[in-house]
This record gives sequence, C-alpha cells and structure tokens, in this order.
Amino acid sequence: MSVAGSIVGFAIQTLAVSSIYILVAIGLSITLGTLKFVNFAHAAMYLAGVYVGLAVALELQFSGDLAGSIGLESFGLDLGFLAALAIVPIVTFGLGLLMERFVARPFYDRPDTDQILVTFGILLIVQELIRAFVGGRSITFSRPDWAEGAISLGPLGTYASWRLTIIGITAVLVLAVYLYIEYTDVGLAVRAGTEDAEMVNLLGIRATRPFLVIFGVGSGLAGAAGVVGGPVFSVVPEVGVGVLVPAFLVVVVGGVGSIAGSVVGGLLIGAVEVGLQMNAPTWSSVGIYALAAVVLLVRPAGLMGVVEVDE
Amino acid sequence: MSEQTETPTSAESADAAGLFDRWDALRERESFSILGAIAFVVVFPMIFTNLPAYNGYMSLVELIYIWAIFAIGFDLLLGYTGLLSFGHAVFWGGSAYAAGLFSANFYGEPLLMVLVATATAVVLALIIGVLSLRRGGIYFAILTLAFGQMMYFLALGPLGGITGGEDGFTGVSVEPLLGVIGLDQGFAGVLGTVFHDISYVLFAGFFVLAVAVAVRIVRSPYGTIFQAIAENEQRVRFLGLNVWRYKITAFVLSGAFAGVAGGLHTIHAQYVAVGSLFWITSGDIVIITVLGGIGSVFGPVAGTVAFLYIENIVSGEIAFWLLVLGTLFVTVVWLFPAGIWGIVSSARSTVREQLSEDDS
Repeated sequence: MSVAGSIVGFAIQTLAVSSIYILVAIGLSITLGTLKFVNFAHAAMYLAGVYVGLAVALELQFSGDLAGSIGLESFGLDLGFLAALAIVPIVTFGLGLLMERFVARPFYDRPDTDQILVTFGILLIVQELIRAFVGGRSITFSRPDWAEGAISLGPLGTYASWRLTIIGITAVLVLAVYLYIEYTDVGLAVRAGTEDAEMVNLLGIRATRPFLVIFGVGSGLAGAAGVVGGPVFSVVPEVGVGVLVPAFLVVVVGGVGSIAGSVVGGLLIGAVEVGLQMNAPTWSSVGIYALAAVVLLVRPAGLMGVVEVDE
Repeated sequence: MSEQTETPTSAESADAAGLFDRWDALRERESFSILGAIAFVVVFPMIFTNLPAYNGYMSLVELIYIWAIFAIGFDLLLGYTGLLSFGHAVFWGGSAYAAGLFSANFYGEPLLMVLVATATAVVLALIIGVLSLRRGGIYFAILTLAFGQMMYFLALGPLGGITGGEDGFTGVSVEPLLGVIGLDQGFAGVLGTVFHDISYVLFAGFFVLAVAVAVRIVRSPYGTIFQAIAENEQRVRFLGLNVWRYKITAFVLSGAFAGVAGGLHTIHAQYVAVGSLFWITSGDIVIITVLGGIGSVFGPVAGTVAFLYIENIVSGEIAFWLLVLGTLFVTVVWLFPAGIWGIVSSARSTVREQLSEDDS
C-alpha cells in the first residue's frame, strides 16, 4: 500500500474510534461547562442507547417478513438500524430531561464530590438493572446489511463502509449540535452560561430551561453513540464505563465546555489509541491515559478550554 | 462500636444527664478509641459469625480488618480533607504486587512484606499525588482515575511478564512470622476461642494499630488543618498555611494505609489479582467509606462490615446484590450524607435528648 494510502487508512480508523468518544464527550463537556455538574451517569445514557437501540433494530429490521412482502429485501435494505438511530436519541433525550430534573437539579448546590458519588451510584444501578433483565453475557449487535462490504477509494485503498458510515453519522450529528449551540437562543444562553452562569440569571434569563434542554441534547448524543457503538464495541453492561472513562479523558484533553474541544480531544485520544494499537498493542490503553495526564499537567484547562471548573 | 453499649436503664435515667457528661468526657479521650478497637476485635468475630446465613469462618472477619484499614486511610483523604480520589486501587493493588514480588524474590516474612508494601504505596502516592493535586475537585477525581487505569493497563500488558498479566500473581510465599511463628498456629483454651490463630492476631493487631494512628492524626493539629481545608480551602490559604503541603501529606498518609492493607491482603490471599488495580476496586473503597460514613474513624469500619457482608453473604441469597448495594449507596448519598455511622450517632443523640427531657 502506498504511503498516502496508509495515512488515509490510519485516519479513517482513527475517525471511526474517535466518533464514539466524541459523541459521548460532548454531553459530558457541556454539562460540566455550563452546570458544573459531574455526570458519571452519562454512561447510563450510552448503555440505554446500546440496549434500546438493539431492541428497536431487532424489532424493526426489514430483512423480516414485512420487508420481503413489499420487495425491499432485494435491496438488502435493513432499516432497523436507521430506525434505532432515529428513535434512540429521542428516548435518551427524554431520559436526560428526567435526569436533569430529578437527579442533577437537587445536586447543583451540593459539593461536586456528592455529584460524582450520586451519579456513580446511579450508573451502578442502571448497569445492574440491565444485568438483571437482559443478562450479563455479550450480545451480538449486528451491522446493518447496507453497511457491510467495502468502498474503494481508488489508489488510496479499500475501506470497510461501516467505518465510513460511523464517521458520516457522527459528522452530521456534531455539526447539527454545533449549529444549534452557535446560532439559536438556547445556544446563546448556554454559551453565556458557560462564561458566567450567575450573570445569565441576573439578566433575567431563566437558565434552567436551556440547561434542561442541553442536558437532553447531551443525553441524546450519548444515546446515538450507543447505537453507533453497539456493533463496534461489545454489548455488555460494563461497556458503559468502558466508554465513559475515555470520554472523560477527551473532555479534559480538549477542554471543558467546548464542542470543538471535544472534537479535538476525541481525535487526539483516538489517534493515540489507534496508532499504538497498530504498532505496540499492549501499550494502547496505557497511552491514552498517559496522554491525558501529560496534557492536563502541561495545559490544565485542556487544549481548547473555555472555562475553569476548578475549586 | 463499643459506644453502642451506652443504653441506660430506667433506674439510671434519673441522673442520665450527669452520666452522659461523664460518658462524653470518656469518649473524648484518645485511649477510648483504641480500647474500643481492641474490644471490637475481641467481640466482633463472635457476633459476626452468628449473623444470619454466615457460613464462612474467620477468613471473612480477617478480610474485614484488612479492608477497614484501607477504608480508614481513604477517609483521611475523603472525609477529613475533602478530596475524592477515584484511583486508590493503585496503592492497594500496587502494594499488593510489591509484597507478592518481594516474597517471591527475596523473603516472605509477613512484617517485611507489609513494610515493603507500605513503602511502595508511599512512593506511588508521592508521585501520583504531586501530579494530581495540581488540580482540585472533579479534575482531581478524573486524574486519579486516569493514573489508576494507567497502572492497571501497565500491569495487564507491558508489565505482564512480572505481574502475571490477566492471571494475576501466583508466586506468593509467606514465611513464618519473624522466621519462627507459623501464621496458622492456633491458640489453646480461652485464648483460642478469642484469638483463634496467629494470623488473626496479625490482622486484628494491624487493625487496632490503624485505628490508633488514624485517631492520633485526626486529633493532632495537622488533622485539624485537614478538616479546615475540607471546610474552606481559601480561608486556610489566607491564614498563611501552605494548603498544598497538607493535601499531599493527607494523600500520602491515605496511600500508606492502603499500602499496609494491600500488603496484608497479599499475606491473606497468597495471590494478587490484576483486578486489585482496576477502577472497580477504587469504586469499592469509595462505596465502603461513604456507606459507612465519612469524617469519622469508625464510620469506614461500619461501611466495611456492611459492604463485605453484602458482597460475600447476601450475594449468596440475592443474585443481584450489586443492585441492592447500588440502591443503598445512592440512598445514603442522597438522604444520609453522614452514612450508617451518622445514622447510629443521630439515633443515639435523639434517644439522649429524649432521656434528658424526661429528666428535667
């Protein structure tokens, strides 16, 4: 393979891994930036995405009888996955609203250690509930038929279309949320709240409503990440934490409160993970933590940090 | 625990107030906590082994002392200094590996193993503490979590040749205490019913020592400054004190407790699992300490008893014991921030107020 080809291959693999981290990290980052709320239970939203997504995909997949009767089967069209991708973010958006109203809000004024503890406890409960009802064994979340196979990029090599699909979906979602935060009133209030939450309240804007919405949006993205990540990572109850910890690293590396920071942090963490996986596999997990530690020590606010959430 | 013996009968309630005052004066004394810990290790096994569905023997009791040492140390950091570390498994697991490797490569004398384990934990705590304590609050939690996971993956992958990787370290060989007294040597007669064997004395002894040291630290001016930092760090800084120095001291001290516990655990289990470094172990110690009640020496002990009982005994009856534990944990964080020990204390003062009112 040509040099250009191997660079593109590395980039695509990195983008695919980073995508899932970025989607989870954005919600963490915004709630941390605006609300100063540390949400370990964000991993529960990812888990909800995986398991609800799996259920929806299995129920609605068009390779079933219904699809056959109207002739869609011949296209190899599997809409179950797309249906999951549409439904799950709405479900987790709702869960996010409930989470903000009933868990986060009572804890805004309590010490951040209490926030960490209560959300950690909720994550444990959700994880165990899944184990109780679905079981702890690994389940297969198969890729949609239309994303199987490979796409040729000419001289740059041939790549699994599934990876390109993940990258495409993530790009669309991240761009949508970015535009939403950058160009709407809700986004304005949120951005102002990131700078100075107290001032926003003094100006008479009830910060609670935008914050509620933003909590929902973050949860929606984490849910989408669950659907996208379902076929990539294993489907077990512990996978929530497995994604949460790197996502936290993405947030601290990129800088709290900024979508661009999450993207940059996600790409960096993904690149290190993929790069080491290719060259020194046993070091790949050590590497991302080392990277995060180094960045935090050199640039404590993160690479693109907007706010200090210290003290 | 011995504080619970305070249940005045109706005859005594006449001068209950006077009795309470005397009781308070007694409790204020440092030796009270140490005597309490000694009484605890004498009485506890008899009570504990008679709990419903208990079907183990002394092993679980010993395990409780070991984890309690870990929890007491963790509370010095979380409860007294207000710092939440999510990476304390490093000191527990790292010291456990150090003790195991020392016993396999040099000499497995138990006290030496504990010494090596503690020294390792102190060094690790110094390094990680200096790096993590540059940031406060949530960053501190995430940084300690990151360093913890880094060590876990190091032991699992690159250092797998030394640590045994996924299989854990199995080469532990524990020699007799001081070279002559076998750990499984039992006692005869009354001594036997209370102290069972040398290994029980070893673990219980370290537990009493840990309580004594923790009480000494908490009562010292140094410990008072820890608490002042937890309450208002800025005020302490304005007083001209070097906050960072006290924080790193608290961090290293709590690491040392975890090191003693980790070393003892290697002696107890004669095996080191790589899971001892995993973030779940860090989570366990957080749950134990918070469940029992932070900011007291006996709270973490109560938490350890509750956690290990649920983990080892209740889990046999209820398949989803972690669900029970999680719910219990969230309830405590949400409604009873003072934990189990806090509930006991407040119940005690309610009873006491009631009695005092009857009195007047």
